[in-house]
Amino acid sequence: MAMTEDGLSPADFAATAARAIAACAGFTARQQAERLGGDGLLGVTANEEVGGLGLSAAFAVPVAAAAGSGLLGFPLLETLLLGRLLQAPLPDVSRALVSGASCATIAWTNAVTAKAQGDLILLSGCIGRAPCAADADWLLVRVGDDATALVPATTSGVVLEGPTGLDLTMPEYTVRLDHVSIAERNLLPAGTWPLLQSDALVLRAAAIMGSAEACLVMAQEHASTRRQFGHALAYNQAIRHALARHKLGLESIRHAITRSLFGEAGALERNAAFLAAASHGVAISQGALQVHGGMGFTWDVPIHRHLRRILALQAQGDASGLLRALGQRYVTEIEPSSEAVA
Amino acid sequence: MTVMEAQPRADVAAASLTGEAYRLKVRDWLRNELPGSYRSDSPQFSPPTLEQSIAWEAAMHRAGLSGMTWPTSYGGHGRTLREHLIVNQEIGALAMPDSVNSIGKELAGPIILAIGTEEQKKRFLPAILQMRNIWCQGFSEPEAGSDLAGLRTRAVRHGDIWRINGQKIWTSGAARSQRCLLLARTGPVEDRHRGLALFAVPLDAPGVRVRTIKSIDGKESFCEVFFDDVEVAQLDALGAPDEGWAAAIRVLEIERATNRMYRAWRFENELRHLISACKTDTVLAGLLADSHYAVRLAETVVDIEVLKAHVETAVDVLVNGGSIGARGSLAKLHWSEAHQRFAMLAMELLSKAPLPLAPSVKVALRRFEGIYLASRAETIYAGTTEIQLGIIADRILALSKGR
Ligand SMILES: Cc1cc2nc3c(=O)[nH]c(=O)nc-3n(C[C@H](O)[C@H](O)[C@H](O)COP(=O)(O)OP(=O)(O)OC[C@H]3O[C@@H](n4cnc5c(N)ncnc54)[C@H](O)[C@@H]3O)c2cc1C
Repeated sequence: MAMTEDGLSPADFAATAARAIAACAGFTARQQAERLGGDGLLGVTANEEVGGLGLSAAFAVPVAAAAGSGLLGFPLLETLLLGRLLQAPLPDVSRALVSGASCATIAWTNAVTAKAQGDLILLSGCIGRAPCAADADWLLVRVGDDATALVPATTSGVVLEGPTGLDLTMPEYTVRLDHVSIAERNLLPAGTWPLLQSDALVLRAAAIMGSAEACLVMAQEHASTRRQFGHALAYNQAIRHALARHKLGLESIRHAITRSLFGEAGALERNAAFLAAASHGVAISQGALQVHGGMGFTWDVPIHRHLRRILALQAQGDASGLLRALGQRYVTEIEPSSEAVA
Repeated sequence: MTVMEAQPRADVAAASLTGEAYRLKVRDWLRNELPGSYRSDSPQFSPPTLEQSIAWEAAMHRAGLSGMTWPTSYGGHGRTLREHLIVNQEIGALAMPDSVNSIGKELAGPIILAIGTEEQKKRFLPAILQMRNIWCQGFSEPEAGSDLAGLRTRAVRHGDIWRINGQKIWTSGAARSQRCLLLARTGPVEDRHRGLALFAVPLDAPGVRVRTIKSIDGKESFCEVFFDDVEVAQLDALGAPDEGWAAAIRVLEIERATNRMYRAWRFENELRHLISACKTDTVLAGLLADSHYAVRLAETVVDIEVLKAHVETAVDVLVNGGSIGARGSLAKLHWSEAHQRFAMLAMELLSKAPLPLAPSVKVALRRFEGIYLASRAETIYAGTTEIQLGIIADRILALSKGR
């Protein structure tokens, strides 16, 4: 879609993002933050007061996709989301994140409880799936049903466990908060969690799309060059058809994301984009691994890294829970047939 | 009130409305004018006869709801593809019978627009929209299905007359059609893609014989068509004698990508009907709440949203001056398989209804049994699944076939 804001197009971001992400190889988290922030990639959707570009989500999609395909080892999605979420309540933190001066992450599963104590808030509980938490200065946690709190990572009582999970380039941590006290203004109001979740759906779908696309390209390349029985693997219809199915899956993700960004798109379209990405993304990366045969099972071929990343993203968004909830909500909204004339 | 007598209440054709206002006008017209008995989700459903279908579709055209994008000089309404999409979304939302002339409107028409002579456009196009001419598509043959380039029906030119001999099969609607969009060979069979031409064959010409074939859904919708020394005037030859293959491929790309553009919205209507019918029965309502079925229904919802995304992307590409090409195969593959999965799910759910059947469950069963059986053909016609996969591999992924 040739969409432009101030002469910028999302496609321009794809190229910048791919370059910056490639340059991040071998960098520490802080060096990555500086590089990505310097290129303006961390504040694509944050407003200009905090140093962002104030663009729509359509511009964050190619950035997230490039992070997936380049296997970026930095919590880019979390930084994009937090830069925007915090721009009004905590502009200083937002500014630091957008510029790359500090790093933050989000714990995607479970919630903690909050108790007021004088001017402070005490947080307790155990939360999980916080990518790259060991490198973060700030940690966003869910509080109760739908509020959130921003916790300085070095506060006493914050204990990291892990890393756990399959993703090697973005290790996930479990975090225990034992009576951790934070300033009152770091407790963000009810409603911030669902907002974050909803924005995260599309970015995750984009990251999965990037990874899945990289897998398909590798599979195509391998099928065209590896020879068995005297000809290239791609000569065999079983392989051609498998790759064609993966191409359909990839284009389905792409179109569903595009659709979720424009027009009257809402929760349904966002859910569909993420759920399509979660199911096709896993199938594409697993299929690419299969096409590589024994090679696919080795550490040397990066497909396993993409598969790991996609599985982590699928779990962070709780794809199976979301699918069930979507079905239940859809069913609830439909009235029983009336026996009368329609 | 019969459709014959129906006068369009709101003339959507004349309305110079855009976006939502246009949609509402279209919705309003369809809901007011479509007889309740034509809706397959209604307890009063009784499928329209051929005459009723013809009258209904002619009324839709008068109201501005078919031939949307065709020039007004050929009986069209000169509207945009986006308006065509809006109309399709509204058609899909009502459980309306499928068009009896979709081959005329969505395949033959666009091809005549592209390669027909001025005289042919004037003669054929208004007749299609006014439902005076129903068309069928004569491509497949007993020995040439997936391998269309192997077809043998032959057309030999003698001055201004072509003499046609051969046989077509699976020709949908041939028994009710006046014209056949025929793909025939003008060169040797060995030439494969070369030497193929398209003809607009009048089905009442001497030497044409149509025999209906009964299909698994009990209908007699498709036919065998035999051509025995059939004479066709040069006036009815479409495009140049060598242009047939390229034009046929274009027909098929249209068929796969944008034909029956309402599919996604019809699919949604079916899903909603299934759920609303199940809700009238306590056992089935309990199953809907079951997390297993909630997940499978949600998968259907995602399939539908993805299908809408494919269709809307195709419309965007066309509106921006692009062509669909082989990408039509992506949409075709998705809708055919997704719809089959859904039809299976519907049969499975409805088979668990306790006896005696609740009235709305009966209505739903009748509809979904038909949908299930008809869906088995969806991965066969317009090119089988295997053929679509081959097209994606060859033309989109460009996978090498060489040794
Ligand atoms: C309901 C219905 C309506 C139709 N309407 C029309 C119509 O109006 N006009 C018209 O011209 N045609 C029509 N058709 C015909 C339709 O286009 C053909 O049936 C279709 O192209 C398949 O051809 P076939 O039946 O000869 O099967 P075949 O080509 O013999 O195929 C049989 C099986 O083998 C598979 N196969 C074939 N070749 C390959 C390959 N290279 N690689 C892998 N698998 C392969 C196929 O996928 C299929 O599963 C209709 C068909 C149906 C079912």
